[in-house]
Amino acid sequence: MLLLLIVLATLGGILVGALPGLNATNGVALLLPFTITMEPIAAIAVLTTIYCAATFAGAITAILINTPGTSASATTCLDGYPLAQRGEAGRALGMAAVSSTIGGIISVLCLMAAAPLLAGAAYKFAPPEYFALTVFGLSMLASIGEESSIKSIMSGAFGVLLATVGIDLLTTVERFTFGMNELTEGIGFVPVMIGVFGIAELLTQAGQLGIVRERITLRAIQLPSKADYQKTWKAILRSSGIGTFIGILPAEGATIASMIGYNEAKRWSKTPEEFGKGSIEGIAGSEAANNSATGGAMVPTLALGIPGSPTAAVILAGLMVHGLRPGPTMFTEQSTFVFAIFWSMLLVNVLFFFVGLYGARIFARATLIPLTILWPMVFLFSMVGAYALDQSMIDVWIALIFGVIGYLMKRYGFSVVSLAIGLILGGMLEKRLGQSMVMLDEQWWLIATRPLSLFFLVLTVLALAGPFLLRKIKSIKS
Amino acid sequence: MANQSNSIKSGSANVSRWVIPGLIILFCAIAFNLTTQFDRVPEILKRGIQPSDFPQLILLLLIGLACLLPFENTQHNRPAVPPSVFISLALMVVFVLLTHLDFFIALGCFSGMLSFSWGERRLGALLLVTLFFPTFVFFLFDLVFEVRFPRGLLTNLWYG
Repeated sequence: MLLLLIVLATLGGILVGALPGLNATNGVALLLPFTITMEPIAAIAVLTTIYCAATFAGAITAILINTPGTSASATTCLDGYPLAQRGEAGRALGMAAVSSTIGGIISVLCLMAAAPLLAGAAYKFAPPEYFALTVFGLSMLASIGEESSIKSIMSGAFGVLLATVGIDLLTTVERFTFGMNELTEGIGFVPVMIGVFGIAELLTQAGQLGIVRERITLRAIQLPSKADYQKTWKAILRSSGIGTFIGILPAEGATIASMIGYNEAKRWSKTPEEFGKGSIEGIAGSEAANNSATGGAMVPTLALGIPGSPTAAVILAGLMVHGLRPGPTMFTEQSTFVFAIFWSMLLVNVLFFFVGLYGARIFARATLIPLTILWPMVFLFSMVGAYALDQSMIDVWIALIFGVIGYLMKRYGFSVVSLAIGLILGGMLEKRLGQSMVMLDEQWWLIATRPLSLFFLVLTVLALAGPFLLRKIKSIKS
Repeated sequence: MANQSNSIKSGSANVSRWVIPGLIILFCAIAFNLTTQFDRVPEILKRGIQPSDFPQLILLLLIGLACLLPFENTQHNRPAVPPSVFISLALMVVFVLLTHLDFFIALGCFSGMLSFSWGERRLGALLLVTLFFPTFVFFLFDLVFEVRFPRGLLTNLWYG
């Protein structure tokens, strides 16, 4: 049964990734309510499968219509589309499938090795260390915003503020409930995710109705030639390492990994002049990196409860909805569950290789679904999904309100991903701060006197100052 | 004409430069005021921090960051919001009103109207999003996921 679900989720994930406007994050958010009635193991296996498959499938639209199905495939457009224009779409898609599979498998093997180690180390963490670690996780939001680090941090802080809505479980004091019983348990993760990732995207798409996409016909997919492998194997391995490492960093996901993977492939290439004009190495570098980031991102998500990427944040919300709290104890108390995630991720990487190779022609047709049909359907799924979780209309209103808020945030350069991560980490941040204050006799500054906490706080300062310093260095250089 | 276009653009830049931080600070000030009305718990029960302390800390952080926003060098002239976005928003209001009749009537009507307003004119496509897809989703969630939808004109026919 689980195997069948994983196969179906792989097909669903590839479809989601191939549809322009939908990506792994909003795909997982929209499909999260479908998993509510499933067993937790099946539910999380389905969500992680969609995550991996959708990340891969972004390459299909990137190569065929020059529109990345997911932002992580933006760099794949640079060389994939020129190759497709030259009549080599099949070769480009073949390389995308091979490099994605290799990158994905390497990262899952790293996940299998690193997550238990990290969880073991995290056993030594007391509340002050967890507090400092969560602050570090939130500080990484500074680098994920498209427009401004300050706006990204503000979005995260807004998410943390939203997490305070409801009854404070330690003191039973109501906060920001406005006398509404429905808000006493707080603002649900799922309706907010559906709002900011689903409804907000619908409104964004409403503003892009006039865009005409040129679509290249795909005749046949072909496996890369021996010469292609000889040319790209180093780039694939390098990008797999880069992607896994970037994925492990809190909040940094496949998009940043693919950019760095692509740039490094170009830097080390013997033919850098071909990049941007249809280089097979460019596709390998980008796709291996973005798929390997998926496994990497699950390391801090499972071991520490800190999301490693935007989609991992939604999966984390899914874990919480199913009553699971990721962290070191999960590896000892629910090891079967953890290994189910590992194996389903490994399996999906093999599955999408075959589905990607032999089904790309069919999935490429998904790009022909008109926006006028796709997005009303997405809205319908969003509203029913928001309602289905607790069978409460308040969740439908929350999804709609956060859809509008998310649209406005995106329009003015605020990151909805930061908001989602802030909302998820907010509860943990406050709880750990409270516990630290009790432990340290209300002398909060003592948090910085503990070596591990200090280490995370120093990393926090570096993460916050990093973007500003880089901008300064760039301006001095130029 | 060019001057007019430039003034519209600079108006848009001013919105993101001053008005947005202003609105954020106003929101935070109101929220901060609300936090001062939270119940306080006795020292022995407070477990480290009072219920209002953490939200206040976050609100102060937000106010501080909002004050920095106007001085950031990332001001953009954003294009005007297209009419299709306003139409979609208006349709969402219609959706909310129609949910009082029936959740699925509201969903079907919204889907059809959204599709039509985005330019869809094929009857088959409109029927698909208005009628067939909502019906499929209703039965999928009702029969497979055992979700009971709110009662209304249509759902009463099924629930009896």
